[in-house]
Amino acid sequence: MLKVLIVDDEEINRIMLAEMLREAGYADCIEAENGIKAIEKAREYKPDIVLLDVIMPGMSGIEAAPLLKATSPECHMPVLFITSLDDEESLVRCLECGGDDFISKPFEKVILKAKLAAHARSRRQSLEIKDKNRSLTYFQQEVERNHRIVEHIFDNALTHNSVEKSYFDLYSQPTTQFNGDLFLCEKSPSGGVYLFVGDFTSHGLASAIGAIPVAQSFSSMTKRGLAVEEIAYRLNALLYSLLPVDMFCVAAIIEFTQKGDQFTVWSGGLPRMALKTSDNSLRHTIDAQHMPLGILSNDEFEQTCQVFHAQAGDTLLMYTDGLMECQHPIHGLLGEEGIEAWFLAEASVSSDTLVKKATEYRGGLPPDDDLTVVQFSCRPFEFEIARNKRIEVPFTLSFHLRAGHIKQAKLIDHLMRIVNGVPGLAVIRSEIFTVLTELTNNAIEHGLLGMCSQMKAEPEGFIEYYELRAERLAKLTEGDIWIDISYPVKQNVTNTGQQGLLEIAVRDNGPGFTETTLKGADDQAFGRGLALVRELSEQVDITDGGNKTRVLLKV
Amino acid sequence: MTINTQVSNDTTLVILVGEKFDFVLVDSFRRAYEDLPAEIRQIDVDLSATQYMDSSALGMLLNMQKVLAGRQLVYRIINCRPQIARILEISRFNKKFDIE
Repeated sequence: MLKVLIVDDEEINRIMLAEMLREAGYADCIEAENGIKAIEKAREYKPDIVLLDVIMPGMSGIEAAPLLKATSPECHMPVLFITSLDDEESLVRCLECGGDDFISKPFEKVILKAKLAAHARSRRQSLEIKDKNRSLTYFQQEVERNHRIVEHIFDNALTHNSVEKSYFDLYSQPTTQFNGDLFLCEKSPSGGVYLFVGDFTSHGLASAIGAIPVAQSFSSMTKRGLAVEEIAYRLNALLYSLLPVDMFCVAAIIEFTQKGDQFTVWSGGLPRMALKTSDNSLRHTIDAQHMPLGILSNDEFEQTCQVFHAQAGDTLLMYTDGLMECQHPIHGLLGEEGIEAWFLAEASVSSDTLVKKATEYRGGLPPDDDLTVVQFSCRPFEFEIARNKRIEVPFTLSFHLRAGHIKQAKLIDHLMRIVNGVPGLAVIRSEIFTVLTELTNNAIEHGLLGMCSQMKAEPEGFIEYYELRAERLAKLTEGDIWIDISYPVKQNVTNTGQQGLLEIAVRDNGPGFTETTLKGADDQAFGRGLALVRELSEQVDITDGGNKTRVLLKV
Repeated sequence: MTINTQVSNDTTLVILVGEKFDFVLVDSFRRAYEDLPAEIRQIDVDLSATQYMDSSALGMLLNMQKVLAGRQLVYRIINCRPQIARILEISRFNKKFDIE
């Protein structure tokens, strides 16, 4: 209910008005006998409407009106003058000093009620607006606060490391503006470099938000040295599960070898890349082969990559569509051809220069899309390979596999997932895989299933061997395999340097095999396993009548 | 992904192997070169995605040559990662394949 402040120096008027208001439904009335008292009460009670006498001793209504209005700065508070004056000049003065209307003495109930209702309406509207303003302000502050938080996370998640500054000529917009473009650069465990050049649909915060999981995931996958195809597959799966259907990420994922002369590319929708020779002729253009990330389900996704060879001094150019989608009033769209013409015109055209040219092309207007340009002049990467995160504590991973476990098709995958979790082993994970697979398969095939490799000598036998393996494995009900992976090695090392050796020991309780039965000639399709393991490792011991094999690998 | 094939320049069969090249692929690898069209002159095994390999993969490669022994074919293994190149080198595969 609205509160009304009645200001009149004559008590009888106040009583009459209060009574009439009560009848009209305004029970909440406050009274004051002059201007000064009125202002005090207004501050204290915050009335919604003021009925104000014009002529009062002390402070008149004309003087009090602006001061009363000032007590409600955010919200319109109607002031209605109570007056018996009827000359035009006085009425005009009442409106000029801030009054909104008049009520004439003697009071007429019907008019008073109607006028109050009209002014109550505008007061209510004003209160509503004030309310909405307040929530808008709150909302705005909330958005700003969220932006600051996301910006902070962004800065931390996407901090560009030192690789790109020294090896890549990068143009990208300041990261303080949310940017739908994403450029990532990571060293590979083998001394090369991985790049991610991407462009999320739409602009601003919504488009930038997808960058965070991509950056985190990219960083962890590249540290493990995953293949480009695998990275593309996993990033697609990630974005497919995270992004709404109308959002996706145009991207290219590239891995350069340590020598910088060979690179593997998966490209989904990124504008055509160009590779030029040191004498400015075009060696390759690299068209996107796939749909952007985040559109296709795992089953539909195509992860095929292209491999390209370059020579030292070649330059590879990559960019997002913000660069080429420039419109010229006469020449039309710039396009990939336009960019390539600039790229090939001179020996060295920096990424900044390309952006400058594109800006000139569109008549000096800033680009209306996010834009990233990266160039790499092919040369070997010369940073220290983080060969080993040292293994800080000794460990033994011990597996006891029974028949049920051994039958699992993805047995080695499960083991490798656990082994790969050990920091420091990532660098030799290929070797560990080979050794573990050879020893485990020997234990299964020869130890437990009693298979003979001679079968594999003939092409048909080769296939039959694996069919027989599957058949016998399915029937396996008894048999155990123990696998111990330890660092450092436990005992009995003939080599002097015990340090830095990983021990892989595999034992089974089958009938056993002897190594002599496993020797094949160079061109035989069998009998290479143990020879391969010998070459990869520092030492191989076979004991317990062939049931136990121990291999030492350099970490 | 396991095994994909494509024909380039009409005369080269490219066999793309996935992350792991091990005995699980025995069947699909064999299917990759079954019913080889007459115009194929070269087989490229592309190992750009392969990170893990065991001796059965070596067996599969040699088996392919045996099965196709009647044909005049050039065999190449291309785009190996360093770890994989090392295994091929240890196994002297350069005697039977052009390794790029």
